[in-house]
Amino acid sequence: MGMKIKPVIEPDLSISIGKMRLKNPVMTASGTFGYGQEFEHFMDLHQLGAVIPKGISLAPMPGNRPPRIFETNGGILNSIGLQNPGLEVFIKERLPYLKSLKTNLIINFFGNTLQEYSELAQRLNALEGISGLEMNISCPNVKCGGIVFGSDPKMTYRLVSRIKKLTSLPLIVKLTPNVTDIKVIARSAEEGGADAVSLVNTFRAMAINIHTRKPELGNVTGGLSGPAIKPIALRMVWEVFQVIKIPVIGIGGIVKAEDAIEFILAGASAVQIGTANLIHPKTGLEVIEGIRKYLLQYRFPHLQNLIGLLGK
Amino acid sequence: MVRTSEDYDPLLRRPFSIYRNYSTSYPMKDKRGHLTILYKKVGKGTQKMITFQKRQKVNLIGPLGNGFFIPPLPSPSPIILIGGGVGIASLSSLGKIFRHEQIYVFIGGKTKNDILCEHDFPKRNVFIATEDGSQGHRGTVVELFCSRLRRFDRNLPHHIYVCGPEGMIKRLSRMNFPQKWTVHVSLEARMGCGFGACWGCVVKTKDPQMAYHRVCKDGPVFSLREILWE
Ligand SMILES: Cc1cc2nc3c(=O)[nH]c(=O)nc-3n(C[C@H](O)[C@H](O)[C@H](O)COP(=O)(O)OP(=O)(O)OC[C@H]3O[C@@H](n4cnc5c(N)ncnc54)[C@H](O)[C@@H]3O)c2cc1C
Ligand SMILES: Cc1cc2nc3c(=O)[nH]c(=O)nc-3n(C[C@H](O)[C@H](O)[C@H](O)COP(=O)(O)O)c2cc1C
Ligand code: FES
Repeated sequence: MGMKIKPVIEPDLSISIGKMRLKNPVMTASGTFGYGQEFEHFMDLHQLGAVIPKGISLAPMPGNRPPRIFETNGGILNSIGLQNPGLEVFIKERLPYLKSLKTNLIINFFGNTLQEYSELAQRLNALEGISGLEMNISCPNVKCGGIVFGSDPKMTYRLVSRIKKLTSLPLIVKLTPNVTDIKVIARSAEEGGADAVSLVNTFRAMAINIHTRKPELGNVTGGLSGPAIKPIALRMVWEVFQVIKIPVIGIGGIVKAEDAIEFILAGASAVQIGTANLIHPKTGLEVIEGIRKYLLQYRFPHLQNLIGLLGK
Repeated sequence: MVRTSEDYDPLLRRPFSIYRNYSTSYPMKDKRGHLTILYKKVGKGTQKMITFQKRQKVNLIGPLGNGFFIPPLPSPSPIILIGGGVGIASLSSLGKIFRHEQIYVFIGGKTKNDILCEHDFPKRNVFIATEDGSQGHRGTVVELFCSRLRRFDRNLPHHIYVCGPEGMIKRLSRMNFPQKWTVHVSLEARMGCGFGACWGCVVKTKDPQMAYHRVCKDGPVFSLREILWE
């Protein structure tokens, strides 16, 4: 037959964030993956690039009054209110299982004051089995009249630089999209010493039932996630990628590999799967496989070749 | 949790009770088993479901949640089932389990067309209420149950099982059930995932440690006394 069959070179999907090495760029978005164990019937969790469980705070958080979920066109509104049992219970009841996973464990955390963030970072730093931290800065600062930490560049810088001093773990700063210019906040996080930024968290939104003339969420407003936000999230990743040097982690409406590849082309070094986990629990694994096939199809030896290709 | 559409419209899965499965109605003849859902078309998702074709593959996750508490049988205590609308679907399998027990079944609906499953229970003790009076007692199933309450002995334990719309369960929660009676209610809530991951489906309880419990995983069956209505 004369034709030479080229050996198939398995593409390299690995990437690094700070000193953390990931076998592939797919993580789970905090709050949509429970504490991992809820998914063990559906998939092999070890295959994920990293697992990020539900966000934790120092003290337990009761969460918001129901209803907490409302489906909109292509998206969901949620007002869970960061319900979690607090650090102590988390360490005792959830961490042992999460630590046993053969993949990176990234802990998402948040506070209401600089002090709370600091104490959490210190205590998490002292624990075994954690690969990295993701700091959610979409929370109101109670000491500063409740303005959201991540909506003010100075506050972002102060918070990030303080936390960076308290931990030797790679620090990812998770940005809120509810700001005038997300580039400015991303730069503050970088200047503060962040190892990466992840974006986006949910968009503040609401829905009204016109028959009862009441809000659909018990908390009136909530956060929008899912396919509906993907184009906006993608644009934000694209903009942020151009102004910072640290890795960008893309989040927002990813339900399939093609969505993830768009984020990577726009500049994301890694992606997180959120709402899709709730609908199709093994989305993450399918996205990994889809990225692998894409790299093979277009003969990219390494995922690195793809990151930010749009701007090159 | 049924995926009503593969193209993310509607986005979320929809929760349904298992009306019948092989372990209650079919001996395990073949490994494939059978599962029946009894549902009512109310919106986008159920609209998609009525277009399902014979032999079409349907993606569903289940069974999920805790299920009803079943006392050791035969039960010395009478069993009372109260179902409103499609809520009766989840009680139907109890009708089978308790078929040799002393059982009383109260079924309610808006009209006679909403009365489902009445033939799943021993005929002699089925009581029906419709809001328009088109079948059985005219009024709500809770009113019908209250009107019959005197016939049950308040001093003896009874097991009560309830499933229906929130309004019905709230009305029952305002009744003063004797201490010895256990009241198990199967709740509904808007669900994000159905398997305990999102904390979107909570109900407030009297638990001092953590007030909000997940209907999908910690429930859907709760003791009526545990629940705190907001
Ligand atoms: C644990 C559990 C078990 C259930 N078992 C059954 C069952 O066996 N059979 C069955 O027919 N239904 C059952 N339901 C209700 C069923 O899940 C809803 O009817 C369904 O999700 C509606 O989807 P939809 O897309 O058609 O409606 P949507 O487009 O989501 O909503 C259309 C209308 O229906 C109303 N609606 C939505 N969800 C509910 C709900 N949970 N209860 C009442 N009204 C609702 C909405 O407020 C809206 O007015 C159960 C719900 C739960 C939580
Ligand atoms: C139910 C739910 C709970 C969430 N909880 C958290 C949380 O605790 N901490 C956090 O940083 N983000 C949280 N998020 C935001 C997601 O991690 C993610 O940033 C967002 O949903 C956008 O991604 P998606 O469109 O893929 O869902 C939550 C999202 C949802 C839908
Ligand atoms: S629906 Fe997600 S936790 Fe119950």
